[in-house]
Amino acid sequence: MSWDNELLERAHKIIELYPQKRSALGPLLYLAQEKDGFISDDSIVEISNLVDITEVQVKSVSSFYSMYKEEQTGTYLLSVCKSISCEINDSRSVINSVKEFTGLENYETDQDKLFTFEEVECIGACGGAPAVQVNYETVEGLTPEKTIEMCEWLKNDKPEIIVADQLQNKFGGTKSFDWAIEDNTGSAYTVPGFQNIGTAKEKDN
Amino acid sequence: MSDQIKINVNGSEIRTDSDQLIIEACEDSGIHIPRFCWHKRMDPVGMCRMCLVEIETPRGKALVPSCTTKVSEDLVVDTESEVVKKAQEGVLEFLLINHPLDCPVCDKAGECPLQDQTMAYGPGESRFVEDKRHFEKPIPISEIILLDRERCILCARCTRFSDEISGDPLIEFIQRGNKTQVNTFPDEPFRSYFSGNTVQICPVGALTSTSYRFKARPWDLKKVSSTSNCSSMGCSVELNVSQNKMLRILGEDNEFTNQGWLSDKGRYNFEYLHSEKRILKPVLNNDSTNEISINESMELISNEISNDENSNISFIVGHNSTNEEYYALNNFVENLNKVNKDLNMDVYLSDDYLYEGFFHNSDLLGKVEDLDSVDTIILWAQDIKDNLPTLYLRIRQAVKNGKKLVIFGHTNTAMKELSDSYFGHEIISKNLEFNVEISEIPNFNEYINDKNVLAIIGKSSPIQNTNPISNLVNYLDQNSNLKLLNCFSKGNTFGALQNISLVKGLNEFINEFDSSEKNIVFTIGSNPVNSSIYSNQIKDKLINANFVVSLDLFKNETTELADIILPTTSFGEKEGTFTNLEMRTLKQNKILPTPGSVLNEWEYWSMMLNKIDIENSYESELELNLNLCEDYLDKDNVPSFDNLNKPSNLDGVLNSKSINIEIENVESGTLEILFVNRLYGDSSTQINSPSISMLGAERFIEMNSDTFIKRNLSDYTVNLVQGDITLQVKIKINNDLPNELIIAPLNRRGFRDIDTTKPYELIEVKNLKELSVN
Ligand code: SF4
Ligand code: FES
Ligand code: FES
Repeated sequence: MSWDNELLERAHKIIELYPQKRSALGPLLYLAQEKDGFISDDSIVEISNLVDITEVQVKSVSSFYSMYKEEQTGTYLLSVCKSISCEINDSRSVINSVKEFTGLENYETDQDKLFTFEEVECIGACGGAPAVQVNYETVEGLTPEKTIEMCEWLKNDKPEIIVADQLQNKFGGTKSFDWAIEDNTGSAYTVPGFQNIGTAKEKDN
Repeated sequence: MSDQIKINVNGSEIRTDSDQLIIEACEDSGIHIPRFCWHKRMDPVGMCRMCLVEIETPRGKALVPSCTTKVSEDLVVDTESEVVKKAQEGVLEFLLINHPLDCPVCDKAGECPLQDQTMAYGPGESRFVEDKRHFEKPIPISEIILLDRERCILCARCTRFSDEISGDPLIEFIQRGNKTQVNTFPDEPFRSYFSGNTVQICPVGALTSTSYRFKARPWDLKKVSSTSNCSSMGCSVELNVSQNKMLRILGEDNEFTNQGWLSDKGRYNFEYLHSEKRILKPVLNNDSTNEISINESMELISNEISNDENSNISFIVGHNSTNEEYYALNNFVENLNKVNKDLNMDVYLSDDYLYEGFFHNSDLLGKVEDLDSVDTIILWAQDIKDNLPTLYLRIRQAVKNGKKLVIFGHTNTAMKELSDSYFGHEIISKNLEFNVEISEIPNFNEYINDKNVLAIIGKSSPIQNTNPISNLVNYLDQNSNLKLLNCFSKGNTFGALQNISLVKGLNEFINEFDSSEKNIVFTIGSNPVNSSIYSNQIKDKLINANFVVSLDLFKNETTELADIILPTTSFGEKEGTFTNLEMRTLKQNKILPTPGSVLNEWEYWSMMLNKIDIENSYESELELNLNLCEDYLDKDNVPSFDNLNKPSNLDGVLNSKSINIEIENVESGTLEILFVNRLYGDSSTQINSPSISMLGAERFIEMNSDTFIKRNLSDYTVNLVQGDITLQVKIKINNDLPNELIIAPLNRRGFRDIDTTKPYELIEVKNLKELSVN
């Protein structure tokens, strides 16, 4: 048993949300990623027992979607958009600045396991291009300078919870929309912060 | 029932069922549409796009995959238009982008759908100059299957088979896009009883089997259709031979039996045919240096038989003989009796699960196809997945199509997931008796009352009082519209029952054997000293007998005790008929030459009769076949060679004969251990087939976790100790078993000597291991 009781309890709660056990596969994979920073084979065995499908069927799903990581990620996953809107708004220089700061190529993780860098397809923030996600929390309207500042802040402050709005206030530029509601929840792992599966965390202040 | 409609294909009108797919409708009318992923026994997926056709729609012509599009009234289809041809070329060009074109070293070349269809529908020239995708060349995905991912065209036939048909999805697509590949999970190999089917249906050479790799090229193969001996299902097979060696067995699609599929045992259990260990000459006194001629052996045996004024002759038969051979044996017994009335002769079938069964009322007897038409399937018999694997597939299919499945007893826990109701230890006791009145079983009546029911009924354990089984059958008969399949699982059991006037069981052999008299025993293709729970007693009797003759392929525990061993022909080396569990008789064909100075069983019987100057009325399989056809109840459609060779009868002929089984009901004892036969075991044929010989080696027992805890166990490797027997076994937890009942494999080495009614101990071996390290 590689999952502790707390994680198993969360898993069972998630499974109860669905009419069929196997439908819980997606969220359970996020739990696995929250635990290890990637989908480990041990977690796959655990999930296959939890939802009654074979290990390779779990692997089939986890290896299909690029947001389920097959290799250990760093504490902060920097996903820089390379799709068309961002490209037009000079995402190339944002990408280059991240590369330069971290010394990483696409899909690489540094030795300290601090950063993982990846170039991704459109993250739905075209209106505020160029956009970046840190642990799936989005910042829009970045410049190369601001990007480096953000990376430095991550490296020095090592914030435990990443919250999109705070990133935006500190480092972002033009936004696609202004929801006008301050949102204090973010993600604490290299997993999107979802309230219903408990991967979202609230930040004080 | 679906309606007939008409559609127009390539300008001509065809009639078809309204619920068919375009590809099926065309196929039935002789119009072939190329395809890779579609397989008529599996659900369509539309993976490969090779089957594109043009249809007319209200918005003009459209290209659609014919394997996922249903026909509709007056549909106009074009399978050969310029657009279709262009599409086919395009699809093939894409498929070939990453295909390695290593045909010269590929087993599939020559019978490869990708190769053939590229020739027929492909672009002819490659425009691809880039690098192809590379994977490590074949990786083993199980002990018997290899996977070459470079060759795979991602049709998903193999993965769908393992999910939909066999229900053990241990292979799947992983990764995506250009990296997509079929694979297993690490340390979880493709250990399926049915894995060989994926090799057969793979449209390229991506999946290959260890037994056939690099052995032959398809164009060198000689092929013949036949019927497998693997179980009493009588699966239709194609035997492939090159240079007088059996190299491969393929499944053939017989609508009434296997529907194209085979178990891996049926598919890969053939290498023994060419084993060096086969006996090729008669042997005297189990001494290999003491080979004698057939004539001498016949002389010796006939002297023994005719010298004895007042002796007993017993025949212990196995299940691999043809109907003709059983008939010849029966004829031998009858003729001998005619000249010597005092001779006491009996035929015993070597199968511990044999009992009188339900044959008295022929209206009750069901067919395999009833699975697809009844409301409820009732199962109480030995482990079906291990003993009748292709029947298991048919049951799975029926359940998938909405039939209710109700299982009794402790042997079919592997099918519990599949069932609608599983009556295990709450209803059926450890000793295989009902704990409650049948009428009181919760929710049972709703499955059967006024329903069409097919019951698959047999003994679950060799030591089982059959009264509860009879009670269940009576109850079902009174309350439902019942059909029944007698579940004797081994080879040509039903052929033996149909063609031997009276069949008894091994328990009868032991009870009737009178050591004070002169005894001659024939064992025929059977190894009762190894394959029965009565092994030890049988061994004593054989040692006690005055003269023992064994007809067999290999030396084994039984032939060791024989005065003369007569080598016999095997599967593929003889022609004859085989009768399956629904009394369907199918043809077995000869494609291999007879090795050494080996004879057919019937030839020995005939020669023996000649030696003692008794006329017999046959000189060939054909004559035997004509003779045995005379006693069929339905005279109009007998399974004669002629009739079976007719194209309309390739699926076999249903016909019955009177069946007489005389087996005393055993007392219900206290079962401590429930024996089951596993698909793979230690039969001489499997052990002498190197590709699968290791599959029956593991020794394990099953028990529920309460028993595990109550017995204070902590390790899963223990010694099973009973009297002076000690067996090291692995424990598998199976929580569907009753407390304190363990399941053990009867056909794995060491288990035979265990008495299933006596207590045993389980002792942890940990300490022993530590000791042995020092
Ligand atoms: S291995 Fe063969 S059957 Fe399986 S997906 Fe690939 S081509 Fe199809
Ligand atoms: S293109 Fe970058 S967010 Fe859409
Ligand atoms: S056969 Fe129709 S898409 Fe493959």
